[in-house]
Amino acid sequence: MSTRLADDELLITRTFDAPASLLFALWSKPEHMKRWMGPANFTCPEVKIDFRVGGVYRVMIISPAHGENWFGGVYREIVENKRLVFTFTWDNGPSAGVETLVTITFEEKGGKTVQTFHQRPFLNVERRDSHVGGWTSAFDKLAAYAAQIAKEHSA
Amino acid sequence: MPDTLSVTLSALADPTRRAILARLAKGEATVNEIAKPFDISLPAVSRHLKVMEAAGLISRGREAQWRPCRLETRALKAVDDWLSRYRRFWTESFDKMDAYLAELKAKEKGK
Repeated sequence: MSTRLADDELLITRTFDAPASLLFALWSKPEHMKRWMGPANFTCPEVKIDFRVGGVYRVMIISPAHGENWFGGVYREIVENKRLVFTFTWDNGPSAGVETLVTITFEEKGGKTVQTFHQRPFLNVERRDSHVGGWTSAFDKLAAYAAQIAKEHSA
Repeated sequence: MPDTLSVTLSALADPTRRAILARLAKGEATVNEIAKPFDISLPAVSRHLKVMEAAGLISRGREAQWRPCRLETRALKAVDDWLSRYRRFWTESFDKMDAYLAELKAKEKGK
C-alpha cells in the first residue's frame, strides 16, 4: 500500500512477515542489503556501510539494460530496530545530485513488522522550516490537486 | 548547467508558492488576484512569482500590462516523473525484500 502526501514526497507503508530486528538488519548489513536492494532486473553487487550517525554508505546496482548505477548518503539517525534516517543521492542519471532524506520506522506487532518508508527532497533551511505546521495542511492538499490538474492538462 | 529538478523542488518547497500553484491550477490570474487570499504584500507575492517563473512552474504574459500568470505543466511533470521512478525503485525493492525474508524463513525451518 502506498499513499501520496504531497507532490514531492513518497510514503510507502508495508507489512513484512518478520521481526523488526531482522528488517533492521536487512537495512544495516551489506550481506543482507545485497539480496534485495534495487528494482526488478537489477542486482546489487556492491554495498559499503559505515553504520553510525555521520557514517557514509555506498551502493551499486546493475542491470543488463541500464549498466552500473551508484547511490549513497550519510546516516543521520539510528535507533536500533525502530528508526533509521539517512540521505540518499544518485551519482548519475536524471536525479543525480538531488539529495533526498529517507526516514524509515519499524513497528513490530505479533511477529510481523510494519515498515513505514518516507522519502522527500532534502534542500535547505527554508525547506525544513516550511515543514513546521505539518504535512496535512490545506496547502499540501491543494498542491496535490494542482499537480493532478497539471497532469490532466498535459495528457 | 543548473540542475533543473533541484530548482523546481526548491521552488515547490514553500507553502505560499504551493498555494499559488493551486490557485493557478484553476486558471490564469493577475498578481493582484493571486495576492488577495494571502496576508502578504504585493512585492512579496511578486518575489514568489519570480522564483516560480525561474523554476519553469509558471509563465507570465508579456503582452498585457497586468501580465497574467499561468501554470506551466512541464516542470511539475518532471517532479512527478522523478517521484514515479523512486516509487518504482522502492516498491520493487520491497518485493525482493519480501522474497528474501521468505527465503530466510524457509532456511530457518530447514535447520
